[in-house]
Amino acid sequence: MSKRNRPRRASLIGWLGSKQVAPWIFLAPTLAFAVVFFLLPLVYAFYISFTKWDSLTPPKWVGLDNYKYILTVDPVFWKTFGNTLYFAFGSIALGVPLAVGLAYAFSKSRWQGLWRSIYWLPMITNVVAVAYIWYFVLDDRFGLMNRTLGLFGLGAPGWLTNPKIAMTSVILIFVWMQLGQNMLLFSAGLSDIDESYYEAARLDGASEGQVFFKITLPLLMPTTLFVLITNFIAGLSYFALMLALSDGTGGPMRSTTVTGLYMYQVAFSDLRIGRASAMAYVLAAVILVITLAQLRLFRRGGVEAY
Amino acid sequence: MAMVRDTRAMATASTMAKYVVLTIGALLMLAPFFDMFIGALRTPAERLAMPPPYWPSDPQWQNYLRVFTELPMGRWLFNSLYTTFTITFLQLLTSAMAGFALAKYRFRGRDFLFRSVLGAQMFPFFLFLIPVFFILRYFPLAGGNDLLGEGGAGFLNSYTAIILPFAVTWYGIFLMRQFFMGLPDELMDAARLDGCSEFRIFFQIALPLVLPGLVTLGIFIFVYQWNEVIWTMTVTRTAPDLQTIPVGIYLLRGAFVDQGTQSLQQAALAVSIAPVIVIFLFLQRYYIRGLTAGAVKG
Repeated sequence: MSKRNRPRRASLIGWLGSKQVAPWIFLAPTLAFAVVFFLLPLVYAFYISFTKWDSLTPPKWVGLDNYKYILTVDPVFWKTFGNTLYFAFGSIALGVPLAVGLAYAFSKSRWQGLWRSIYWLPMITNVVAVAYIWYFVLDDRFGLMNRTLGLFGLGAPGWLTNPKIAMTSVILIFVWMQLGQNMLLFSAGLSDIDESYYEAARLDGASEGQVFFKITLPLLMPTTLFVLITNFIAGLSYFALMLALSDGTGGPMRSTTVTGLYMYQVAFSDLRIGRASAMAYVLAAVILVITLAQLRLFRRGGVEAY
Repeated sequence: MAMVRDTRAMATASTMAKYVVLTIGALLMLAPFFDMFIGALRTPAERLAMPPPYWPSDPQWQNYLRVFTELPMGRWLFNSLYTTFTITFLQLLTSAMAGFALAKYRFRGRDFLFRSVLGAQMFPFFLFLIPVFFILRYFPLAGGNDLLGEGGAGFLNSYTAIILPFAVTWYGIFLMRQFFMGLPDELMDAARLDGCSEFRIFFQIALPLVLPGLVTLGIFIFVYQWNEVIWTMTVTRTAPDLQTIPVGIYLLRGAFVDQGTQSLQQAALAVSIAPVIVIFLFLQRYYIRGLTAGAVKG
């Protein structure tokens, strides 16, 4: 009782620890961070994108020149944009069906801890290790992949050296990296489906295939849309694997240069900071438009599926 | 009868098929790691032979130790541990504090701030690479810079450059808010009646109750930061003393162009992966427990 009736200390610490002031103190580090490392960079990069700047001499205002150059003159930018789309579409076209199938096999299996650990292994591996591990596996003549193909008398493609298939190899590696994560998202989606649907279907004599295509897949739609959207957006801005696999060149012959990697090269190798900043904003604008369109699709799909 | 036996046989066949699929998939997941593990054991002579044999005839187990004596692995390991632990601590602290404020207090602008946190997550990482690099470079009064940010190298070539841009995670704030929302308000009101300051309520009452959430988020952050390459590489390119394991291996790639040394590179890769695998295998249980706790409360 004595404690409760004691008059509140009218000190600075008491004021700081009050219900009105404390939340702002809790938020202070985040707000300071937001100003210096979120708002300021966005404004700063926007300003730089209208200048010509090599980071050594003062920036020179050039108006819309950087944007004009990227969109109308630079042939490399559009090539990298095509590569980016190919990568983003390719990795979901290949990765999502695989993840659904594996999650379906995984969801009611035994030894789930074991399967999960194995399928998550690539996901918790750093991208440099992933790149070099596959660099050895996909070695033209003596890599594990072409040795194995050779056993079956199959040809030995230059997985990472042939510009026509290098990006497809990157997609295969990326799918391998991401499979565990998507599999887990799908298996969470599968466990949300009510068991009674399956029981009813089995009583009606539905086959396993019918159950999968007529019940499981439609009910999994919200998860599928979520995975498709998040993977696609992540795919558009991804470039770490391409950088590590190609020594930062995006080769062979620019075949694995995605727009994010091109921006990085233009900024930190060519020191054309203004042009690279404009590139970042163009790519971000594309991603924003796609995100908004897909969110709309997601909402509609989510409602319809329920 | 025949019909029942048929469906049973079919069910068994489809169960078998599922395990076959899972096993084949697991082998494809593991084979590249196995290839790295085997590769690290080859002698330089085997590397240079034509054609090179796949299986090492004289496994060079000491290659896994040589990476510590012949490469700056000790330095890299320290840098990886130091930056990863510091960032994990900072992100947990800032996420918990901001998440608590957004979950448990009513004040003007709260909903705007929460929506901003959700919106900030949508901004892609690459948009910040260039400006944050130069903000650190021209940071006033840092690293020999004057008040206008000229004259020195700013925060570049320091641990601060690796750590500071990762001090806050928007996703972490969102996640911790969800966890704090699950705590009853009565708990805090009772503590207030006892004369507790808001800080004591946070640190001594609220924080211990969301420990599963902190562990979950902590593992997420740790694995992500241990594997972070692009940013760390960008700010430590000219500072070998600050490079982490993956960045060090990547930037030292010129040393492994000679095929005789590639076993050492593969051994180094194995060392770069080992700590996260150990942490993951030990904490997987906590991780899943944290996830389910979050699902129930959120």
